[in-house]
Amino acid sequence: MEGILFWVFGSMMVFGGLMMVVQRSAVVSAVWLIFAFVSAAGIFALLSAPFLAVMQILVYAGAIMVLFLFVIMMLQGPVLEGDQKLLGRSLWPAVAIPPLAIVVMIVGYVMRNGLTGWGGPAPEGFGSPEHVAGLLLGKYLLAFELISIVLLVAIIGALAVGKDERKLPWK
Amino acid sequence: MEITLTHYLLLAMTVFLTGMVGFVVRRNAIVMLMCVELMLSSVNIVFAAYSRFHANADGHVFVLMNFAVAAAEAAIGLAILVEIFRRRRTVNVDDLKALME
Repeated sequence: MEGILFWVFGSMMVFGGLMMVVQRSAVVSAVWLIFAFVSAAGIFALLSAPFLAVMQILVYAGAIMVLFLFVIMMLQGPVLEGDQKLLGRSLWPAVAIPPLAIVVMIVGYVMRNGLTGWGGPAPEGFGSPEHVAGLLLGKYLLAFELISIVLLVAIIGALAVGKDERKLPWK
Repeated sequence: MEITLTHYLLLAMTVFLTGMVGFVVRRNAIVMLMCVELMLSSVNIVFAAYSRFHANADGHVFVLMNFAVAAAEAAIGLAILVEIFRRRRTVNVDDLKALME
C-alpha cells in the first residue's frame, strides 16, 4: 500500500513541478505548484508525519501560494503574458536533467536489493501534533522563539520595501 | 515492494533538480521565486524521510522552521518584485541588468 501511494504522490509531485517550469503563464505555473505541494503533503503523510502534512497544506498550498497569486493578480498584464522566449538555445541541455533523475530513480527501484528499509512501523504517536509540540516547546524552545523574530523581521522588511518611501515613519 | 529511504531521497533529488532547472530556465522573476519554493519543499521531504528512518522527530521541528523561512522569503521576495515592477514596469530578469552593464 505504501509502495503504490509513494509512486502516485511522488509522480504527481514531479509532474506538478515539471508543469510549473514548462507553462508560460505565471498563473498556470502557480496552480501547478499548488498541485505539487498538495502531493508533497501526501508524501509527508506516508512518512508518518501527519502534522507536517496538515501544515504543508495550510502554510504552503494555502498561505504562500495565495500570496503568490495575489501578487500575480496585482502585476497583471506584462506578467500574465509570460515569457516570450523561455530560454536561449545553449541552456536546453539543462532541461534533460529532471528526466535523467527520473531514470536514476527507476534504476534505484530496480536495484533495490541491499537498500535498508524502515525496520518496522513507526512508534505509536510518531509525528503527531502532541509529539512535535513536545519537542517544539521543550528541546527546541529557543529556536521556536527565534523563528518568531525571523517572521517579525520579514513583516517589517516587506512593509519597508513595499511602502511608498516618503511615507515611512523614519523619513 | 518495499519503499526505502533511498526512494524518498531520489524523489527529493528529482524535485530539487526540477526547481533548479526552472530557476535557470525561466525569465519571469515570480516563477523563479516559485521554483525556489519547490526546492525548499524538496529539502523538507529529506528532513521528514530521515526523521522516519531514525524514528526521531527532531527533523519535523526543522521542517516547521523551514516553513517559516519559506514564508519569510516569499513575503520579502514578492515585496521586492512589486517594488521593481512599480519602477521598471517589468519583472523579466533579462530587462533588469542595470547592475550588470
